[in-house]
Amino acid sequence: MSEFFHQYFDFHIMGAHFSEVLEGFLKNLLLFAVVVVLALIWGLILALVRQLPGRKLIPLRGLTIAYIDVLRAIPLLIIILLISGGIPYLNFLPKDIRIPHWFGQPDPFWYGVLALTLVYGAYMAEVYRAGIEAAQGGQMEAARSLGMSHSQAMRHVIVPQAITKIPAPMLNEMISLLKDTTLVSVVALGESVLVGREVLAETFNSSAVLLAGLMFLVITLPAARLVDKMIKRNQGKITRGAHIEVA
Amino acid sequence: MSKSRLTALFAVLLVGVVSVVVAGCGSSSSSSSTGGGEESTASSGGEPLTIGSDIPYPPFEQGKPGSYTGFDIELMEAIAEKIGRTAEVEDTSFETIFRDVGQGKFEAVISAATITPEREKAVAFSNPYYLSEQAILVKEGSEITGIEDLSGKVVGAQQGTTGQELGKEKANASELRPYPEGPDAVNALKAGTVEAVIIDAPVAQNAVEKSGGVEIAEKVPTEESYGIAVALDNTELLEEINAGLKEVIEDGSYTTIYEKWFHLEPPKEIVG
Repeated sequence: MSEFFHQYFDFHIMGAHFSEVLEGFLKNLLLFAVVVVLALIWGLILALVRQLPGRKLIPLRGLTIAYIDVLRAIPLLIIILLISGGIPYLNFLPKDIRIPHWFGQPDPFWYGVLALTLVYGAYMAEVYRAGIEAAQGGQMEAARSLGMSHSQAMRHVIVPQAITKIPAPMLNEMISLLKDTTLVSVVALGESVLVGREVLAETFNSSAVLLAGLMFLVITLPAARLVDKMIKRNQGKITRGAHIEVA
Repeated sequence: MSKSRLTALFAVLLVGVVSVVVAGCGSSSSSSSTGGGEESTASSGGEPLTIGSDIPYPPFEQGKPGSYTGFDIELMEAIAEKIGRTAEVEDTSFETIFRDVGQGKFEAVISAATITPEREKAVAFSNPYYLSEQAILVKEGSEITGIEDLSGKVVGAQQGTTGQELGKEKANASELRPYPEGPDAVNALKAGTVEAVIIDAPVAQNAVEKSGGVEIAEKVPTEESYGIAVALDNTELLEEINAGLKEVIEDGSYTTIYEKWFHLEPPKEIVG
């Protein structure tokens, strides 16, 4: 048992490698910050395309649904490996795009951004959809009968209401996203888990890996509490006869 | 009606899943027992000797669960036979391998592991069974001809290996990327995201032969040797392994296994 504690709670090792692990964790946060913006936009685009009306757009809607389903059905780790292993071979693209080193970040960072955005865009599209569908209830028809076009109704009636319903489930997706940034370590991005494992290889002690886990806790635990609070508040609305909570 | 139908469908699905799982377990255990079965009869059904190894690391360790093979694995099986036991190899991760053998998760480690003073603080090593060099692996036609050309370049290595240490000490690279497995680093080299990879020479040679498109720019002697590791206090097993290794070298099976996997004669320092 004491060996177990020594293996994972060696505070001397944690202290000695704190700044390295923190630097790795900041890389997780940076990756998260870039992806969260892109995925929120990409997810909204997907969700809106999915809701487009009319027979002519059936193929486009089908493609969007297929994209959302497939990207959520494949393990993220595989997407990361496919992107980092595949994109460099696309010779018709210029080298700066195949092997990007933008803004001083190495190519694994940008492969991670692309993989996480593609996958989390799909997850977030589902959250938007749940919000949009919860806000409908005849309002689309009402807005259309007042002479609004589909896009006007979406913009002025449906989406503003949907936006108020999605923060809690969206925050849940963001918590998952932050944790999943560690998967990019598989293509040798120097984030917190990779740094922790470096220390493990050097010292044969896992405390730095646990330290990385603790850093995530500092952010994800309060965020999880916040999600709970939001859901409770929404449930209050339901009992007063408001809309049903989504997702 | 529809509810009971749904329940029936669910039950059928459940039975299906369970039977697939059971069949899967059954076949994997039977295949592993047949895999080791022939050897176990040869070694008079000795007690299993549990071995940890980070697979894949061709040509030292490769293959699928139940049929692992490679230079290390075959050598270990031969040594185990000499001491009247049957080697049972388990795939594990290199950066935790010495911790795990120390804690008794398996009895010994054979995983192309270089004997270093740092590692000797954590585990006990057998006599050397292999002498190694590091290789600078590059794309065919690369301008890099040696370790001094790696200055300012993006270089790959496997995490926790001697190649990574050599890179840190001598390469002066702009970035040294530690990949979880050796083949990941070779793939990154082929894709062009790193310009060179520092890795054990036989692994590099294997990549040149099997994958193509890459070549060895330079071999760097490291005066390294590989050893089989056991827990620090397991001196009894260590003595048995050393004796078994000596027998395997003397009766010529070491040379046979070496030539099979490296297409080279074994070094005189080992076979005498």
